[in-house]
Amino acid sequence: MTDLRDLDQLLRAEDRDGGCSAGAEILDAYVELELAGEDPARVYPGTAIHLQSCSGCRADHDGLLEAARRFGDIRPE
Amino acid sequence: MALGGADRAAPSRDHFPMPQLRLEPRAPMASISNERSGSGGACPRTQAGPHAGSRQWVEQLRAGHPRHHQTVARLHDVLHRVAVYELSRRRHQLRSIRGPEFDDLAQQAADDALVNVLDRLDEFRGLSRFTTWAYTFVMFEVSAKVARHAWRRQPPDVEQLEWDQLQDPMALLPEERLEQRARLEALSRAIAELTERQREVFVAIALNDVPIEALAMNLRTNRNAVYKNLFDARRRLRARMAAAGHPVSERSVRELAAGRTARLGPTAAACSR
Repeated sequence: MTDLRDLDQLLRAEDRDGGCSAGAEILDAYVELELAGEDPARVYPGTAIHLQSCSGCRADHDGLLEAARRFGDIRPE
Repeated sequence: MALGGADRAAPSRDHFPMPQLRLEPRAPMASISNERSGSGGACPRTQAGPHAGSRQWVEQLRAGHPRHHQTVARLHDVLHRVAVYELSRRRHQLRSIRGPEFDDLAQQAADDALVNVLDRLDEFRGLSRFTTWAYTFVMFEVSAKVARHAWRRQPPDVEQLEWDQLQDPMALLPEERLEQRARLEALSRAIAELTERQREVFVAIALNDVPIEALAMNLRTNRNAVYKNLFDARRRLRARMAAAGHPVSERSVRELAAGRTARLGPTAAACSR
């Protein structure tokens, strides 16, 4: 059950939200910027906003970030 | 992100565009650092193009390359490892899945991700390392498969809203309690004014924590379409709250709601059924 104390989060709907599909196309680049220590919100503000509002996309993002960290430098043989 | 179930085979598919939302521009190539390449760091691109490892992947995956078959097998192995890791990370959504069934899910996710990577190889533009790009497909496959599994085992009950759970034994001051109750009653009235679909989506995702992917499957649509319903519902609720004299802002909410005490009125309970 969601905690209704944070109504601002519960009702978060920002104009610049990029939506799920827009973020899907650049999720790899977004994560790569994070791994490089850069601020992806500067380049992809719509996705940064979206990830705060969409738990599904946030789960994909978190998984990809973790996978890229752990398995990112694997090369073909 | 956003491409759920059968509609999420590739990241650029969008059967339900959200015209009122802004599309994200592609990053300028120069914006991505190329200074770091160690483990955990990122070196997606150099001035000359994708970094060497990425180039090697793409070249060797092309049909006709002498190492094509070995490279496909290598990629499948890596994708499978990522799928196992990601499924483990989301294990709380899989409940009783273990052993062969878990392995089968990982295998399917890796297989489907591999097909997508090979089908879309020409679309890799070097905005990230090749592996990061390829793992995106695993994430989408895992999301879809976890949702499908959850939906099959226990279809989300999107109608039920357990308002009784909103009561909190930790008491606020009486006047704070009254104010919070008024706020939550305003919210319940606003929820009742949503369209049926908006209400269904908002109650399920925002209040009952139903995964958006599972709900999309239940409603036979995709994540992007469900998110659009959620976005519209939130905007409408926010506007209604403001019109009712309860504007929602982080500051006001935090000041008013130091605890969860109010119980929503009968309107919301009725509207949720």
